[in-house]
Amino acid sequence: MKIILLLCITVILNSCNSEKKIVPGEAKNEASESPRPTSTNNIGTKSEVSDTNKNLYGYYTGEFLAVEYDDSKEYTYSNVITVSIDSIVGSMLYGHSIVAGNDRPFKGMYENKNGVYSAEVSEPGDDKYDGVFYFSIDPASQKISGTWKSNSKDVYVTKRQYDLNKKLFVYDKNNSIPQEKNWNALYDRDPKFPDKIETLTEDVSKINASNTLLKKENVENMFKGDLEVIRNSIYARHGYSFKNRKIRYFFDNAVDWYMPVSTDVRNELTELELKNIDMLKRYEDHAGKYYDDYGR
Amino acid sequence: MNNVIKALPFSFRFKKFRINYLSAALGIIYLFFCYLMLKITLQYIPYDTDAAFLKIKQEVINVPFYKIAFFTHVYTAMLVLPAGFTQFSKYFLKNFPLVHKTTGYIYAIAVTFLTGPSGFFMGIYANGGLISQTAFCTLAVLWIYFTVMAVIKAKQKNFKGHRNYLVRSFALALSAITLRAWKYILVLMFEPRPMDVYQLVSWLGWIPNIIIAEIIIHKLYKK
Repeated sequence: MKIILLLCITVILNSCNSEKKIVPGEAKNEASESPRPTSTNNIGTKSEVSDTNKNLYGYYTGEFLAVEYDDSKEYTYSNVITVSIDSIVGSMLYGHSIVAGNDRPFKGMYENKNGVYSAEVSEPGDDKYDGVFYFSIDPASQKISGTWKSNSKDVYVTKRQYDLNKKLFVYDKNNSIPQEKNWNALYDRDPKFPDKIETLTEDVSKINASNTLLKKENVENMFKGDLEVIRNSIYARHGYSFKNRKIRYFFDNAVDWYMPVSTDVRNELTELELKNIDMLKRYEDHAGKYYDDYGR
Repeated sequence: MNNVIKALPFSFRFKKFRINYLSAALGIIYLFFCYLMLKITLQYIPYDTDAAFLKIKQEVINVPFYKIAFFTHVYTAMLVLPAGFTQFSKYFLKNFPLVHKTTGYIYAIAVTFLTGPSGFFMGIYANGGLISQTAFCTLAVLWIYFTVMAVIKAKQKNFKGHRNYLVRSFALALSAITLRAWKYILVLMFEPRPMDVYQLVSWLGWIPNIIIAEIIIHKLYKK
């Protein structure tokens, strides 16, 4: 028994160590202070960047609300979006936005009028959902607000608006799912929800799969929906932007620390998280296939 | 099976007609469940240690003999099912005694040496802790015991005892079907938690069966 305990402790300690090596939060913190070099245009001109411009760099996050949309379609009224201002070179502003599992760069001209920056930046245009952002950045209140218009008229939502607040992304393995949510109400709220109504229980807030190694006793008696949320909360802590509408809806609406900053977090997962994901996925698959089925 | 039906009280009314109709109906229901069992078995063909049920048994899959026990149990369980069609029919016993004997031996050997012991071994590592582990191990022990006793009684030419023990034995064999049926019904009605329902059906899957077997032996066969 003692040996097992010792082993457990070593495993946990090791996983802590390895976490430090690959914690994306630290890297991301830097990213939010200093821009990620998305464009080759700014090489060699870095020294030109003024301090006031640098202060604008970073993540701005908030709701991305539909203004003009096709009512007959199952559009998404609100998603959480993160707009990242990556660099300002001359009169050009570079950045990218992450929303609904989509990470798109943008660039465009900006003007500085009495300390408020107004910009018109375009996405590359080779994606169906690309468009143009029109926004103003207020360095004093650290806010971005504006609109976005799609290039194509064939998409369900052609115009969205947003008021975003500057926010540092920090990976915190202790971030947990709030307890006091009425989960049924949450899922029932959206009448256009594509999947069948699924209920969640308070279990989702009981287990943190990023800081605790799960045993089968922890998960074997749980419902599939809860397991799904517990597993996805691992990705959410790393700032993963969900394509899956149901999961996105949950984290966008119910979890205040959640902000999407990446569409691929696979390399950032800790050893412990990877182990837990494997275990959770097994029980999810099993519950999905055999819970209400004849057989096993 | 005909014996059972003949003994049912309501079969007295439309004697001949009702009897055939009922055994046919039971036969078809049984056939349907055999088909479901076959489908469950086919999940494990070809040999795959990460299929279906084994997805959540990864922590015991490397226990020595577990894999052998599991696949023995899965692959030999089908040998037990044909007995349901032939062994309780007086017609078969009278007209094809060799079929009765052969199917009987296949059943007895499968239960005693393969499906039963492997079930017991898996029971030790069953999901759901002591509650379901006790249930599955007890089930396996009783199943083997009833089957062995039935063979002994036949050797002693005590055919009444032989029949009674096989009614018990087969009632337990049917737990493979009834356990899953209970699970299906309970989930449909109450949506219980997965491991709660598993612990519940580990007992509910065979206790009523053995009670019904005793009723058949003591009430119906007495008439």
